[in-house]
Parts: sequence; C-alpha cells; structure tokens
Amino acid sequence: MRQIKRMLRMHKIFVAQELKRMMEYKGDFIVGIIGFLFAQCTNMLFLWIIFRQIPSLMGWTLNQVVFIYGFSLIPKGIDHLLFDNLWAIGHWTVRKGDFDKYLTRPVNTLFHVMVERLQIDALGELIMGIALICITLPSVAIQWSLLKILLIIAVIPFATLIYTGIKIATAAIAFWTKRSGNITFMFYMVNDFAKYPVSIYNNAVRFIITYIIPFAFTAYYPAEYILTGNNPLFNIGLTIVISLILMVIGIFVWNKGIRAYESAGS
Amino acid sequence: MIYVENLRKEFKKTIKEPGVLGSFKSLFHPKTEKIVAVNDISFNVPEGEILGFIGPNGAGKSTVIKMLTGILTPTSGKCTINGRNPNENRKSYVKEIGVVFGQRTQLWWDLPLRETYAVLKEIYEVPDDKYHKRMAFLNEILDLEKFITSPVRTLSLGQRMRADIAASLLHSPKVLFLDEPTIGLDVVVKDNIRNAVDYINKQEKTTVILTTHDLADIELLAKRIVMIDKGSNVFDGTISELKSKYGQIRELHFDTDTENVKDILSYKEHFDFNDEDITVETEGSSVKVRFNSEAVPVSDMLSYTLGKINIKDISVKDADIEEIIRRLYKQGV
Ligand SMILES: Nc1ncnc2c1ncn2[C@@H]1O[C@H](COP(=O)(O)OP(=O)(O)OP(=O)(O)O)[C@@H](O)[C@H]1O
Ligand SMILES: [Mg+2]
Repeated sequence: MRQIKRMLRMHKIFVAQELKRMMEYKGDFIVGIIGFLFAQCTNMLFLWIIFRQIPSLMGWTLNQVVFIYGFSLIPKGIDHLLFDNLWAIGHWTVRKGDFDKYLTRPVNTLFHVMVERLQIDALGELIMGIALICITLPSVAIQWSLLKILLIIAVIPFATLIYTGIKIATAAIAFWTKRSGNITFMFYMVNDFAKYPVSIYNNAVRFIITYIIPFAFTAYYPAEYILTGNNPLFNIGLTIVISLILMVIGIFVWNKGIRAYESAGS
Repeated sequence: MIYVENLRKEFKKTIKEPGVLGSFKSLFHPKTEKIVAVNDISFNVPEGEILGFIGPNGAGKSTVIKMLTGILTPTSGKCTINGRNPNENRKSYVKEIGVVFGQRTQLWWDLPLRETYAVLKEIYEVPDDKYHKRMAFLNEILDLEKFITSPVRTLSLGQRMRADIAASLLHSPKVLFLDEPTIGLDVVVKDNIRNAVDYINKQEKTTVILTTHDLADIELLAKRIVMIDKGSNVFDGTISELKSKYGQIRELHFDTDTENVKDILSYKEHFDFNDEDITVETEGSSVKVRFNSEAVPVSDMLSYTLGKINIKDISVKDADIEEIIRRLYKQGV
C-alpha cells in the first residue's frame, strides 16, 4: 500500500511534466489527435457503406456495431495512456542496457516502468471511444440496472489489464532476446479483430481471439453484455478471470526475465 | 564491509554466420560462444575505505560493479555487501547503496533536475526535512545551483555527472559505487568531484569503490587498489606496495651535445637488457632513459653513461604510478 502511494506521488510528477510538454508542443499534439480521428472516421465510413447493403450484420445493427467499436477504444486507450512505457522496454531499454537504472532503485521494477510515462496521444482513442458510445447510446436500447452499471464499471479496468498483461509478458521476452518490440506489435495487431462482433468471423479466428490471444474480452464480450444483458458469467466473469491470468503470466515472465537480464557492455 | 569471493560472470554470445544462409542457419541452430568477463575474482573492502578498482579496457570492471549492485546475477561465486547478497531482497539492499555509471545517466532525460530529485525523494522515501538539508548540502559540494532548473537533456557532460553523483548520494548510502565518474571531464570539474567524494568518505564514513582510467583519481582518493585484467586479479594492495613491488623502474634524464646517443650508448646490447626493461627517448638535446633497476643497478647505468658521452645535467627519478601501471597493462600479467 505504501509503495502504491509512493508510486502515485511519483506518477503525479511525471504527469505534470507530460502536460507541460504537451502545452509546449501543442501543434504536434493536435496534429497527432486529428490524424488519429481521421483514421477512425475512415473505419466508420467503411461500416456505414457495409450497412447500406445489409440491414444487419449477424443480428447486429449499425448502431450496435459502432457501440462495440467505441467501447473497444476505452480499455485500449487507458492502457495506451498509462502504460505505454512498456513498449520502450522491448524496443530499446533492455537492448541498450538502460534497464540498469530500474534495478538500482528500491521500488518494484515493473511499477517503476509503468508509472514513468503518460502517453497523451492516447486521448485520441479515449475521446473517439466516448464520442461513439454517446452517439449510439440513445439508439441501442440498453436495459439498465444497478448491477449492470456496477459490472460495467468493474470490467473496464480488467479489460484494460488484458492489454497490459500481454504487453508485460511480451516486453519481458526482451530480457532474453534483447529485443521484443515486434512481438508485442504482432500481438497488438490481433486486437483489430476484437473491435467487431466475433460472430462475423469463422471458427478459427473466433477461437484465437477468444482463447489464444483473448482480445475479444477487451471489447466484444463485455460490450455484448452491456447491449443484451446475456451471459454475464461468460462475458464479464471470464473477462476478469482472463485478465488476472494474463497479469499473473506477465508478472511471472517479467520476474524471471530480470534474472536473465544481461545489461550491455560499456 | 564488502566481501567478494570467486565472483564469476559468463556471457553467451551468439555467433552470426555471414550471409543470408548463415543468418538463417543461426536462427535455428544458434552457435553460441562463452565469454568469461569476470573470472573468479576475490577481494575485500573494509568499511570507510575508498578502493581504486582499475584495469585496462574490457578487463571486467563494470561487470563486477554490476554484480555488486544487483544489476547482473553472477554465474558463480559470492559477494556480500554490508552483510547482504545483492540478488536477494533487492529493494531493501539498493536503499543502502549509491551507483553512478559515468558512461550513461540514470536520470530522466526530459525532467528538470529539481523534479528529478523530487522523484528520487519519493523512490528512496527521504523525509522532507532530511531532503531539504541533503539538497542544500549536495548543492554546496557539487555546485548544482546554476542548472538545477534545466532539463537533464540540456546539461553539459560535467553538469550531468555532478547531477548524477548528487542523485546517488541523496539517500545517504553506506556504500557508493562509482564507475568512471571523471570520464571526459575538465580539470576543474574533476577536482570538484574528487573533493566531493573525499568529503563524503571522510564525513559519513561512506565506503567507495571507484573505477577510473585517470590514475590521478586513484592517487588522490584511494589508499588501496585492486587491479584486474581479462577478468582476473592482478594486484591487490596499497599504492606504496604497488610501487615497491613493481617500482624497480627508474628514469635517467640528461642533456648532452653528443649526436646519435642511442647508437653510441646501445644499452640493450651492452647490458643485455630484455626488451621491456629499457626504453630510450630523445628530444633535441635531452634524453630520457627508462630502465629496470633490478636488471642493472642505477650506479652501473650512471657510470657507464657518464663514461661514454659528454653530459651537461643528469638526474635519476623513481617511476610514477602511471608508468608502473602502463607496464602492467602492457604485459597483461
Ligand atoms: N552485456 C554484455 N554482453 C556480452 N558481453 C559483455 C557484456 N558486458 C560486458 N561484456 C564483455 O565482458 C568483458 C568485460 O567488460 P566490462 O564492461 O566489464 O569491462 P571494463 O573493465 O568495464 O572496461 P572499460 O574500462 O572499457 O569500461 C568485455 O569483453 C565485454 O565485451
Ligand atoms: Mg567499464
């Protein structure tokens, strides 16, 4: 607990710094966000064109599909905003020996890496996600209940940790191989599938994004529960279980990796 | 305080075979080669001592420091610092040590220096009142005031090194590891850093292990040196022991108007010196002869030289520590 408090105080300093930097390079920041929103709009256009041909996609309406898409951006955006520094581990921190500094400090190395940066660019995803949810919310006819609201609030951090756990485990491979950024990237490519209802895919793809690289639990399954109220045990319960399993695997690989870390000459 | 026993570190290196086919082969059957970076090294450092840890490039100094600070796990052997093993209970161990690698900063590139120390305060859990006192103190001995508001990336090398050293001292460590803390610095900054290390060592009884290629650091700070080469111990003792053990080298300096002194004197043939036991350098009319006084006594050298040529001014000198170490590095004992 004390460690978490310290980490949060540290985090505050880094966040303040990041915000200062954002103000300093406003232009770059704004262009980045606009670029991201533009790319997302082309996706929306694509959906809209499909739905002009067909009234519904495997039982989902355009608004529902857009809602799922919007929801998928929330856990992804939170992970991107808070824990982006893990990318650096797999790309260069380990390879260049810069990981040394984390090992000479009296805090958990993983915590230290995770709180060290705030990736403001991720606000693009969060803004887009919230906007899409707000736009479609009136027309998707959700049955609200207190339990549902509580479950939704609870499931978002766990869905986020699915991303984070996978990122920790794949980043930690670099402790052995020196470089693993591309492995993380490969895994993250799969998450594009998870933005749409899994029922549109064939069995193989469905199996992979459910049980192998379970990104479907970051978006489609929780969103399905929100929209239909179906299968809370599978849609919400399994999301939580899978995210915990992935975090445990991630932390395990990370701790093993630290012992194999070889630093760099000079 | 610090006990190092048969410490060993091996690195595996994959050998890349040339060409596309080669790299394909090594993808499936990677050929690895074992590099012994540190080969069963042992030494001790008593509390409050500054140890000069030296050796030629690639000797394994940084690798030893990384094992002592818990960054690397030793292949075999043991090190105990302050009664503890760096690889067990890492978090509480590193609270007691300070580490500086001169080659690379441990600070945050974009953070202003002042914020950097604020973060380290949280990391090391330094209480407010202690923190303010400590900052004022570090400010005084390392002169940080002028650049304390600048981001680390804008600091000059000398400023950055002082900032790094201050960072390593913020939590008043019992043991300080300095790996080349004076690399690339001008004389004034070097002096500043040496004084700071000396002061901390005297005031707070901090034990220090210092690696450097500038032997002035060693002469000014360390009583004892441990020298390693190719991963193995070469020498362990005080500087005066080093001088008496390897210091049979003498230097003969003289001025002469005779031409071609080298040919006329031909010490090597006359006294039958080994190659490494004699060198003669001439510059205009002044001549510098460096020889091993164990092979030929000083008096013989003097009388032979005086009898052979016309000499204006002559003197005999002890070789300095730099000369001794140069010889040791060259021989690769
Ligand atoms: N991470 C690493 N992976 C593989 N080999 C390494 C690694 N670090 C060091 N080595 C090798 O181990 C040996 C010792 O290196 P080390 O950096 O400890 O030397 P050093 O005494 O600090 O030298 P210098 O004075 O140049 O800093 C060298 O041969 C080096 O190539
Ligand atoms: Mg070194």
